[in-house]
Amino acid sequence: MSRDGFTGFTRGEARTRTASDSLQFAGAGGALSQIARLPWGVILVITAMSLTGAAMLFSTAWDPVNQMPSPHEADLWRNHLIRFGIAFGLMIVLALTPLKVWAALAFPGYLATVVLLILVDQFGSMGGGAQRWLNIGGVLVQPSEFAKLAITIALARYYQTALNTTNNVPGFQVHIGALVIILIPAALVFKQPDLGTTLALVCSGCVMIFFAGLSMRIILPVIALGIAAVPAVYLFVLEPYQRERVDTFLSGLTGNATNGLGESYQIEQAKIAIGAGGLSGRGYLQGIQSQQDYVPEQHTDFILTVIAEEFGFIGAVALLSAFAFLLVWSFLAAMRCRSWFGRLAICGAASTIAFFAIFNISMVIGLLPVVGMPLPFISYGGTALLTVMACFGVILSAHLHRDEKLNIRGLF
Amino acid sequence: MSRKNKNADEMFDRRMFLAAGAGGLVWAGLVARFFQLQFLDAERYQGLAEANHVKLVMAPPERGQILDRFGRPLASQRQAGRVSVIPEQMKNPADVLNRISDLISLPEARRERLLEDIRNARRRNAAFLPVIVAQELTFEEFSRMQVHAVEMEGVDVQMASTRSYPRGRDFGHVLGYVARASGEDLDRLTTGLAPEDQRIYQEMFRHPDMRTGRQGMERFAEDWLRGRPGRRRVVANAHGRPLWELTQDPKQAAVPGKDLYITIDAELQRIAIDRFEGESGAAVVIDIENGDVLAMVSTPAFDPNGFVNGISGSDYALLRDDPRSPLYPRAHGGVYPPGSTFKMVVATAALEAGVIKPEDHIRCPGHYRFGNRTWHCWKRPGHGAMNMHNAIKQSCDVYFYEIARRAGVEKIAEVSRKFGFGHTWVLGMTGARGGLVPDPAWKQKARGEPWFEGETLNFGIGQGQLGTTPLQLALMTARIAATGAPIRPRMIGLGPNDEDDALLDEPLDPAIMERMKAGMFGVTSEGGGTAYRSGDLGLGGPRLAGKTGTAQVRRITTAERATGVRGGDAIARELRDHALFVAYAPADNPKYAISVIVEHGEGGSRTAAPVARDILAAAIRMNSGRAPSFSRRADNTATPETGDPA
Repeated sequence: MSRDGFTGFTRGEARTRTASDSLQFAGAGGALSQIARLPWGVILVITAMSLTGAAMLFSTAWDPVNQMPSPHEADLWRNHLIRFGIAFGLMIVLALTPLKVWAALAFPGYLATVVLLILVDQFGSMGGGAQRWLNIGGVLVQPSEFAKLAITIALARYYQTALNTTNNVPGFQVHIGALVIILIPAALVFKQPDLGTTLALVCSGCVMIFFAGLSMRIILPVIALGIAAVPAVYLFVLEPYQRERVDTFLSGLTGNATNGLGESYQIEQAKIAIGAGGLSGRGYLQGIQSQQDYVPEQHTDFILTVIAEEFGFIGAVALLSAFAFLLVWSFLAAMRCRSWFGRLAICGAASTIAFFAIFNISMVIGLLPVVGMPLPFISYGGTALLTVMACFGVILSAHLHRDEKLNIRGLF
Repeated sequence: MSRKNKNADEMFDRRMFLAAGAGGLVWAGLVARFFQLQFLDAERYQGLAEANHVKLVMAPPERGQILDRFGRPLASQRQAGRVSVIPEQMKNPADVLNRISDLISLPEARRERLLEDIRNARRRNAAFLPVIVAQELTFEEFSRMQVHAVEMEGVDVQMASTRSYPRGRDFGHVLGYVARASGEDLDRLTTGLAPEDQRIYQEMFRHPDMRTGRQGMERFAEDWLRGRPGRRRVVANAHGRPLWELTQDPKQAAVPGKDLYITIDAELQRIAIDRFEGESGAAVVIDIENGDVLAMVSTPAFDPNGFVNGISGSDYALLRDDPRSPLYPRAHGGVYPPGSTFKMVVATAALEAGVIKPEDHIRCPGHYRFGNRTWHCWKRPGHGAMNMHNAIKQSCDVYFYEIARRAGVEKIAEVSRKFGFGHTWVLGMTGARGGLVPDPAWKQKARGEPWFEGETLNFGIGQGQLGTTPLQLALMTARIAATGAPIRPRMIGLGPNDEDDALLDEPLDPAIMERMKAGMFGVTSEGGGTAYRSGDLGLGGPRLAGKTGTAQVRRITTAERATGVRGGDAIARELRDHALFVAYAPADNPKYAISVIVEHGEGGSRTAAPVARDILAAAIRMNSGRAPSFSRRADNTATPETGDPA
């Protein structure tokens, strides 16, 4: 049975452990023993990244003249830490949730999210030119963030049934249902408008369809068609402000302008900050661009510029490596799952985080147009942090319950 | 396990590796981009970052001092405590201002205005620029604020450079004052400059420490005093807020303005202004040997210190509406009829024209008939037979009616100009006026009427249209006392050249001047002289020679003349005549010439002459005309440099 020399274990071996684990799971001390079985090395990496985020927020709040955090920004890093604490608790709770519960909640959660998105469209409040926030009993929530998790779980649930019934690489028609599951919330988010989140939703959804086995004979032509459709999307789908960003990006790529003026100011300043960091960085709290507010949004989407300036190329590569580690570990975890639900939930959640990271980093270093997209674990912003940690909670849950087989028939 | 299922598992694993490979490619691409930015292009971006945050900010020049002839400071830069707040650092500005007002005086109205300024600064996104709360702190206030500033957010206590006039009102009319440059000031200062220089000027004058001369010598010598602004290298953040200083390039340092020496003796000026004892009037003292103006007094005066940081509307209204006009520069801008002090000019004109000899007698019956009108002598019973010497000594009007008529208006006007009348003597001040020397051409042009010979009679006793300033009268006296030698009046000892102020060198016959001096000596030192009592300087020897005068404020009506009402308590103070006195001393070896006018002082001999006597005595006692501390050589070699900023 050993067909996987690379990962060092086989599904067969994993299955042999299942019986004893299941017995433990039934016991009273199950929760504690499950906590003990969590992959603490991975959780440590996540914690380290979030603490780095807090340290970077402290740096953006630092007042180099008075040698203390400036009073009106001092709350940033504290808030980040508090939010991380809350999100950490949530992640552990999600991690301990059995797959059966996830599967049962998948479609109701999806429907609720769609309803919330429709409500946002109807009654949401505006912020920064987009309608993204919904006031539920005094708490402002951003349903588009829920959508990331909801689509992932719903798709995983969908394929769990679809693949288990066919017991084979499914046919093309199976994936149409999946596409519908993705496109309904994606269209609603796009309408807000929130280009960044839409992209993330569609991309991670498509990755799940890819892992679910959509034939390459369909994938390749669709990619080709997608590339061919770019000009049409640019002309007819994008809002003027989105088009402007694309223009700015293109002129920056082609003209290599460092004029520091106009629309490309933000990206120019970001590039200067990153470049000025050099190999080993200017040192913590020593960045020129970072300490003197030259990069707009440096505590949210552009926080990478602070890391890159103060810790240099070494710091940037360390950060990229941390993300790579999380991704590779998640893929390995997916391969160890017995259920399609677990595999695809990990793939969806991991690729959501991966797309966040890739889009954010590419945007900051000038490889992609500026779309609002936070850097997972590090950027300031409660909702985004909560979403990312919840995604990881799903991954951990699927990992913890990798041997559950989930014999569900039918959609509900 | 079915084969089909195994197929799906294999497919999943295969795709996993495919995705991992794609992810690895993306990862490598991102690392490559970081490598490009942070390794290959690092130097360029480091340069851009440096260029980004190092800013050259304006360093205002230190304004030059103004010093008197002996180097006493009249206008200088003083370090004074200043409290400012930085709006962006305050959560609750009203609260902060209340706490400041516990420590230093800060009226409610001022606090409200500051709150508005702070709101405006926030609206303009300039909340990092300091808003000045209070300046000119006393030492106690400054130390109190320094102790407590750390407890308050956004409060900055520092020493700032301000213009100060240590002698206050003594020099208000001469020096004028400085103020924050207004839009008008900027327009005036930048006309004719290159656009780039205009921008530098605008930036320079926006600096809170920067002032420009608004009036007087401060304005006249603006370029000399201002200096050149420099540039300081500072680190500034993206919002333009300076964070800290870098090492400075000495070539970029601000060049301070040059010191300006004036010829006035500050002590004599103070004694002169005090001697008026609150009366309105003016006095000008000139050094006969070289034309240096030693005192230039106009009372009442204002304190220029009140203008430096912007005078409040109510304070300014108080000065402006004061019936005694403290803002009015009487000494060089006040135009008065000279009255009898003008008689030496008329006598000179008559002698030059040859229409009378000094020994010729003219009988004074107390009045003079010309045409169908009667002109009166100030002495109603008349002086009897008068020669020139006695006519000057006793100021006989009838004698001067007669010789004025004989000499004619044109001749008197010509001689007047030789003495400096009708010319605007700027001497580096603002507000100077030239007065008026009337003649037929002027009257035809201004009034469209021919000259009436009757007006020549008024001209002869210094009344009518004739208008003179105390400065001109002092110059006239100086020329007589110098026995007709040329005089170059000046008040700028070491400073910018004043091209307007010409040499007063029209030829005057020394013999005639000697006669005038004798007449003036008679006034103060011979029996019957109109100012006999004021001739002794009280210095145990030297005497002064002078001439009294009365300037009519209103025409005396026939009815009043008949009833003998000519002044005193019988008429309102502001309608009483001005008292004038011109003099020089010592009489035997003239050094100082003076003119004094006491407004509504009525009699030259009674009110103006004692003032003139005491000022002259002070000048002699203190030797005000001794060599000044600025060297003559420096004056001659000083090139007119302008304060253009580089």
